[in-house]
Amino acid sequence: MIKTTPTKKRLLLFIFFGWILLILGDRVGDLELYQGSFVATYALAITSIILLTGYSGQLSLGHSALMAVGAYTGALSIFNAGLHPVIGLIISVFVAGIFGLILGLVVARLSGPYLAGTTLALAISLPTLANQFPILGGEEGIVFDVGVASARFGDEFSQYKWFFWISALAALIMVWLVANLLSVRYGRTFKAMRDNPVAAQLSGINVGQLKVMAFALSSGVAGLSGGLLVMLISGVSPSAFPLSLSFAVLTGAVVTGLYNLKGVILGGLVLVAIPEIADSLVSRIGGSEGFTTTLPGFLVSALLILAVVFTPNGPGHLLKRHHHKKKV
Amino acid sequence: MTQFITAVLTSLSSGAIYALMALALVLVWRSTRVINFAQAGQAVLTTYIGYTVIQRTGSYWLALLVAVVSGAIIGAVIDRFFMRPIFKRIKSGPIVMIAPVVATLGLLGIIQAVIGFIWGLTNQSIQAPVSTDGFKVMGTVIAFSRYNLLVLIFVAVAMLLLTILFQKTDIGLALRASAYSPEIAKLSGIKVDSVRTLGWAIAGASGGLAGMLYIPGYFLFPNAMDLLLVFGFVAAVIGGLESLFGAVVGAMILGFAINFATTYISAKLFFPTAFIVLVAVLLLKPGGLFGSKKGRSA
Repeated sequence: MIKTTPTKKRLLLFIFFGWILLILGDRVGDLELYQGSFVATYALAITSIILLTGYSGQLSLGHSALMAVGAYTGALSIFNAGLHPVIGLIISVFVAGIFGLILGLVVARLSGPYLAGTTLALAISLPTLANQFPILGGEEGIVFDVGVASARFGDEFSQYKWFFWISALAALIMVWLVANLLSVRYGRTFKAMRDNPVAAQLSGINVGQLKVMAFALSSGVAGLSGGLLVMLISGVSPSAFPLSLSFAVLTGAVVTGLYNLKGVILGGLVLVAIPEIADSLVSRIGGSEGFTTTLPGFLVSALLILAVVFTPNGPGHLLKRHHHKKKV
Repeated sequence: MTQFITAVLTSLSSGAIYALMALALVLVWRSTRVINFAQAGQAVLTTYIGYTVIQRTGSYWLALLVAVVSGAIIGAVIDRFFMRPIFKRIKSGPIVMIAPVVATLGLLGIIQAVIGFIWGLTNQSIQAPVSTDGFKVMGTVIAFSRYNLLVLIFVAVAMLLLTILFQKTDIGLALRASAYSPEIAKLSGIKVDSVRTLGWAIAGASGGLAGMLYIPGYFLFPNAMDLLLVFGFVAAVIGGLESLFGAVVGAMILGFAINFATTYISAKLFFPTAFIVLVAVLLLKPGGLFGSKKGRSA
């Protein structure tokens, strides 16, 4: 009999999940596939926030900038250097990771509001730098084209299904890697550092180094998510990475629960679903232009506040407490 | 030479506006350890109220007064009925660190959406009360107007009033005491919760003033103050978040750096300059220029 370790179990779980997605992908239409790709992309971005904020205790408001780094890297390596899309996305992970490493070296000794302020300033300033260099295409940006799927998948294989395959697979692999990383020693040292930095330092954990590493890892994940995001909108420009993207991803992470990775799909679903819900609400009750355009923002903000007030540690935590009460 | 004079004067007037926003953030930070991102929303809301007053009565000065007063009321209401219950609810766990940030961000979104519901999204404008044509220096028109001068005077007066309030009155003493050490302040009979609400009210008034002074050179729409919030925050962080004087100094540093970089190097450096100045200051002093070590770990 084969002994199943937690790691093996997790791998099997991810493969099973991927298989379900594969079957689902054949059953649903193009619109659902497109939305599914966005869910995967946001889930990745939320993963990067959870990694940084939930596990290493550093708050970042600048993840849209890190996503932009990944997106521009991907676009340049695919469009200008003519590399294969998959290699382009892998490069964007590494370049964003290195950028995060440098950023982490600069900011990891800051804490609380100082870190929030610095990352906030980064989020508004970095995308505008794209206007400075002609190779980045200024306001119009550059195209990001992953090309059509290879012919061997058959004629009925639509562009959207191709998007969905790429983003779902990328998200699955990345989240699997992160989950593995956090379940071994690194995860525990991260948690120790978050919960009690002084005690962690006393027990021999190099807190500074670990914080920098968390920044690099989180940035790499964010870079991949940025690359996927601009793949879906087929072009990268500064306006694709507004400050509101940082806030939206943070909302997703809070709704998911900052301290576990299990709900990232839920967070992604929420971020994709809210504009849809707002749309259907608006089409039913109507209203002025001011009402219809601001309704999604209102719903996101209301959800954010409700999540903080009622499930500060995530919905999973709430269930667990409920379960516990039942037993007693 | 005129270019230099213009750069200095515009730096002063933009720095003055950043300073008002920075002061609003520092006042709230000192009293409740919250970075109030909703300040941008509050300030826009009061400016819309001021705009409505101008539409009805035609008086800018009345609108300014109404905006400042309503800013104080809104600030107090937010603290009493929004922030205080949240803090009562969330006392332990790692979420404590980010709950205030997330709550005020959520509040910002709600305020901006509500403004959109009520006033719509089209750009409105507020006529400045005095001329916005540049002064003439040695025959050339410079980009500094009577209105910019008015802004400078208003901000200077506001600073003076705040300084008197904080240093010379009993209320100021209570404000300082409950920011410095809430427990001891409570033991010596200060109603710390009410004093905190007062801090929020003063901050709201300062934000209201910032809005009414900033918008006439610009447009009024629900997100109009977002950038001002970011610059105010950056200025406050440069100044160390604890000190009102530091906030003003930080805002002036930021104003001068941005205006000189855009005048003499490239107009595209507007945002990157803010980031570079901030990182440079924090690399030298991780707690800001006038911050205490205590404030950093909190």
